[in-house]
Amino acid sequence: MGRAAAVTAELLAWWLLLMAAWLVFISTVDALEGFVGAGCALLGALAACGARRAMGER
Amino acid sequence: MNGWLWTATVLLAVGFGPVVWAVATGPVGRRVVAQNFGTSAVCLVMLLLAQGYQRPSYTDLALVLAVLGPVGTLVYARLLADDLSPHPPHTNLLTAAAALATTAVVVAVCAATGPGRAMVKLLVTGALLVAGNVIASRAVSGGYRNAEATSHG
Repeated sequence: MGRAAAVTAELLAWWLLLMAAWLVFISTVDALEGFVGAGCALLGALAACGARRAMGER
Repeated sequence: MNGWLWTATVLLAVGFGPVVWAVATGPVGRRVVAQNFGTSAVCLVMLLLAQGYQRPSYTDLALVLAVLGPVGTLVYARLLADDLSPHPPHTNLLTAAAALATTAVVVAVCAATGPGRAMVKLLVTGALLVAGNVIASRAVSGGYRNAEATSHG
């Protein structure tokens, strides 16, 4: 339970960071950009979690 | 020609001219250091041109370069590790100069842009550029060799 919570918290932290970066880097902020950004940020967050775990467990 | 374009031209001549020469001649250590510095110089030129031509989309080029440039240098540092290890090049002075120039340009462009999302984007680009340059320079000068040795057993 503790491990799942930790992974979820890390995923959420990465997602918030990447979503903030997306909103800063796009030129016009609208709903569609938000949806696309949310999806891309989720993919990025999964990749970041995986990369960090791969680095930590070597 | 406004002040931004003049500054970009001078930076291109004074910063990137010597880089081309240093990349094309001399020992391998100097070439790698020069191409790493070239990333910073071109990135700053892009930021200045974006402001000079009033085209914010040029900032995207600087952003992409700030991310991909140091990655390219890390690849060189990894592949040329055997050639670089006998005489690791000194990068402190050039890294400091690049960080100083980046700070000056980003602060000036931020002041001209004014507060907003565009300014945050510029600050993120500048931070990525400085951080990438520091990490890549340290890798080239052999700063991560011990970590590498332990990671490969």
